[in-house]
Amino acid sequence: MKYILMMNTMRAGHGVPGWKQKDLQAHIAFMMNLNKDLQRAGEFVSAEGLSFPDQAKQVRAGKDGTPITDGIFPESKEFLAGFWIIDVDSPERAYAIAAKISSAPGPQGAPLNMPIEVRPVMSAPPPDML
Amino acid sequence: MKYILLMSGTKAGTEHYHAWSQKDIQAHMNILHKINKDLSESGEFVATQGLSQPAEAKVVRGEKNGVPITDGIFPESKEFLLGYWIVDVASPDRAYAIAARIASAAGPGGVPTNMPIEVRRFASNEPPK
Repeated sequence: MKYILMMNTMRAGHGVPGWKQKDLQAHIAFMMNLNKDLQRAGEFVSAEGLSFPDQAKQVRAGKDGTPITDGIFPESKEFLAGFWIIDVDSPERAYAIAAKISSAPGPQGAPLNMPIEVRPVMSAPPPDML
Repeated sequence: MKYILLMSGTKAGTEHYHAWSQKDIQAHMNILHKINKDLSESGEFVATQGLSQPAEAKVVRGEKNGVPITDGIFPESKEFLLGYWIVDVASPDRAYAIAARIASAAGPGGVPTNMPIEVRRFASNEPPK
């Protein structure tokens, strides 16, 4: 079954974190290593990092269908920083992978302990919605 | 360049969606299918997924010993991702135009939902010039 693991750790106006180069490298190495492990286990589907919230836009359609874009978001809004899609045998396995991501190193190598949102993905709308 | 178009809503909002009539849901789905078909034909389609109900969502943290701590309690104001599109387009404006088309999909009684769509560029791309 497929799950999406979401890092909703960014806030409005957020840009590149002011971490030391060494800390950033250790963080990225941890993530790349995790992706490699997931690939080896046949559980990796995809993973992406998103650009920073200062580039995010919210779009609605005007009456004639033209896009109305807005870059102002409430301060409380959570921004997706990145996500993984994994294909695993059980929800517990998805939670274990999320816990590993949560413990990725931050400044001075201390685990970030960041919250990871875990959601099942549906490949097609459920039959009662078609 | 690749963008992700995020459709989000609160738990109350998704419950409202499930109260739509079968006919309205079908009309809405038909529009979304048509958008996917058009994006496939223009070579801009990368992926789309719908997510399961917010009731199934968990937030997970790692304990010191690596054991996952799961929690299913979220603030009422939390925006849950309902679904997303990944598109590969020539410009940010094209990404906004596709988002506007998704936002204008018909809701109950054929009235556009005018749902806000968040547009985010993938970090793996070069920033737009």
